[in-house]
Amino acid sequence: MSEQDSPFSVDTRGEFSFPENHRYDAGYGLTEQTIDYICDAKGEPNWLREFRKAALRKFREMPMPTHWAPEGISGVDFEKIRYYLAHGTPPRKSWDEVPEDVKRTFERLGVPEQERAFLAGVDAQYDSETAYNNMRRELSEKGVIFVNSTEGLKEYEHIFRPWFGKVIPVGDNKFSALNHAAFSGGSFIYIPKGVKLAQPLQAYFRINSESMGQFERTLIIADEGAELVYMEGCTAPKFDTATLHSGVVELVALKGAKIQYVTVQNWAANVYNLVIQRGLAMEGAEIRWIDCNLGSGLTMKYPAVVLRGEGARGEVVSISLAHTGQHQDTGARMIHAAPNTTSNIVAKSISIGKGRASYRGEVQVLKGMKGCKNNTECDALLINPSSRTDTYPAITVSGNASSVQHEASVSQVDEEMLFYMQQRGLTRAQAMSLAVNGFINDLVNEFPMEYSVELRRLIDLEMEDSIG
Amino acid sequence: MNFPEDNNELKLALEKAEAAARLREAPTPSRLCEDWRFGNPHRWAAELVALLEDAQTTNAGSIRMEAPEGVACEPDDELRSDELLMSSIGSDKLLGLHLKRFGKGVCLFLETSPEKPITITYETDSVFTPTTCILAAPGVRAQITERHITRGKGTIFCVRDIKAMEGADLSVHLVEEGSGSSRALNITNISSVRARVRHLTEHTGHAWAREETTAEILASEDDADIQLFSANRLADGQVLDQHTRQLHAVGRSASNLLYKNVLDGKATAVFAGNIRVEEGAHNTDAYQANRNMLLSEDAVVHSLPGLEILADRVRCSHGSASSPMDEEQLFYLMARGVPRHEAQLLVADGFLEDARAAFRGER
Repeated sequence: MSEQDSPFSVDTRGEFSFPENHRYDAGYGLTEQTIDYICDAKGEPNWLREFRKAALRKFREMPMPTHWAPEGISGVDFEKIRYYLAHGTPPRKSWDEVPEDVKRTFERLGVPEQERAFLAGVDAQYDSETAYNNMRRELSEKGVIFVNSTEGLKEYEHIFRPWFGKVIPVGDNKFSALNHAAFSGGSFIYIPKGVKLAQPLQAYFRINSESMGQFERTLIIADEGAELVYMEGCTAPKFDTATLHSGVVELVALKGAKIQYVTVQNWAANVYNLVIQRGLAMEGAEIRWIDCNLGSGLTMKYPAVVLRGEGARGEVVSISLAHTGQHQDTGARMIHAAPNTTSNIVAKSISIGKGRASYRGEVQVLKGMKGCKNNTECDALLINPSSRTDTYPAITVSGNASSVQHEASVSQVDEEMLFYMQQRGLTRAQAMSLAVNGFINDLVNEFPMEYSVELRRLIDLEMEDSIG
Repeated sequence: MNFPEDNNELKLALEKAEAAARLREAPTPSRLCEDWRFGNPHRWAAELVALLEDAQTTNAGSIRMEAPEGVACEPDDELRSDELLMSSIGSDKLLGLHLKRFGKGVCLFLETSPEKPITITYETDSVFTPTTCILAAPGVRAQITERHITRGKGTIFCVRDIKAMEGADLSVHLVEEGSGSSRALNITNISSVRARVRHLTEHTGHAWAREETTAEILASEDDADIQLFSANRLADGQVLDQHTRQLHAVGRSASNLLYKNVLDGKATAVFAGNIRVEEGAHNTDAYQANRNMLLSEDAVVHSLPGLEILADRVRCSHGSASSPMDEEQLFYLMARGVPRHEAQLLVADGFLEDARAAFRGER
């Protein structure tokens, strides 16, 4: 299938870029001066400046992750990264006001079509600052707040600040400290009590400058009984030197709330994608992470749910695709910190060529928690003889009133199945593509319509490339 | 480095020199070592290192054996240099200290199949560091039971090397009996050259016990098979820390693992397993299962079953499950007049019997 045949003009490779034209550029490396520069450029209050500096000290003190980290992580050179870039223009509300070059990038990402289709609001991020921000009036009338994190801290400090860094504290790990020190961009969303959004909210992230680190920070708070679906898609143009993406995403689902967070990650192969995603589910709340990793050189992403209130539910649905030169180190974490909480993890990975896909998951049932249940399933599919897959789960159960089970399997595409399809006139690549699509079919159905179409199309392309 | 074939000796000498340097420079295991993450390892590892480094500590224990004549001998220099090349799972420092105290133990060279099962018994009430070496020649069938009895506050640290050659069929049963305050560490290497090996470990009564079992298939033609089993009952504050590796260097081979624990009191069980199928080891079947039954509120299980697959046409799976005792099974027994406590013992024993029966080949 060629790109023109697709109903969505989304660039799936990211092998394009536009000339850089930034008004603010904090230069390479991270020092106190860089932080002053970021704070001045964004006009931030003093408490935040101090907060960032404290986080920077923490970042310097902390060691790189030792347990459980893939070897590739040592390749990150913090001195060779630009920590802040922005156009310096305030967020736009109407599409016409967006600068032409930014628009051109978005055009290829398919933002306008999707907005026209049915999206409730678009908060698309171009490098560090939000360039386009539009919300339907009816949403704001319901009291829904959907702004970038800078605006959120400025305008809604009373809601934002109490939860800021509470789900993922500064000292959680080295990259959390880095994000606290250098964050810019990302979304801040607040859904008031009982408000249920029928349509998903969406943001696109994009890196378009060489050696540009993107440290977006997203905080979503769903008040009691509220419901929302948030979608985030990523793509980046290809560059020669490594870029770093180290985001922090915090979700807070208060009593009875439901949050579904959908990510499609498709960075270029020179991007380190180290994202910390964690949700806090209070009494009876539900958090679902639907995670799809297609791009980047090294991804380390383990969406987590801390089940803090009785009867809370967490779920992670994860698909990853690793090509030659890629290491998808993805997984999930579930912390059962309240009784009668349940969680489910379903992860499927596909390794192509010399690609490596790893599942790394942690499930913990804390002391004294009764009636907790977890189910984990990981399936890996190896396409070529040189493909690699790993599974590294860590399960801790305390007490005799909870049950946890984990299962993983590794398999290949059945030769007989391929033979059957080829005999009926399909090419080998088509047969392989059909088989792979069948492997992830039940998970793809979890994704919103346009993502699942894009995903299937992408798998077709990948199979053509690798089987030919 | 590539050596011509006649330079194998040189290559081996170099490997040994490298291994000696690695063991010498290895740090004392701590919580920060990936292989020593759980079960208060810093305390146990540091104590054991201090104990073994202490020049006052003697290598004291008794050895008894029931074996045909001429089969067994004492560990010699050749075995000592073999031990140098053995692999630990995070305990190179301890392996190095064991080598320094090398000298006691049993070597079994099985050239023909023995008529009766062989039994080796190590017993100690202080610190004992024996070495067991079992080598089965091509076509040999043998059953070996190794009993470690540790009394008082004794510590047993045994390094075990089990090798089975072409067509051999070996079953090795390790019984660890502790006193309640004793400690045990077993570093075991099992290798199969187109042979079958079954291995079962059973632990009772150690305050702290650790197992590092590396099973490796070196050559195969659809007939290499290593099966690892373990069945343990833990109570009080006991810690059992089990680490396994199933290494498939060549294809067309199979390995299987079933580790089961029943935990009561404040017991802690750690299982960290890894199946590694090397590049080119196609057509491998490897399985791994860890099952835990928790009987008390304070028991803790850490389970880390891992897979690393670099080859094609591989069938691999692993599973881990931790849950309380099935109330329905208890109800069934109680409905037939068995008191609750006895019913619990029966169900727990049935749960573990599963692994023992698989070891005996009954299932």
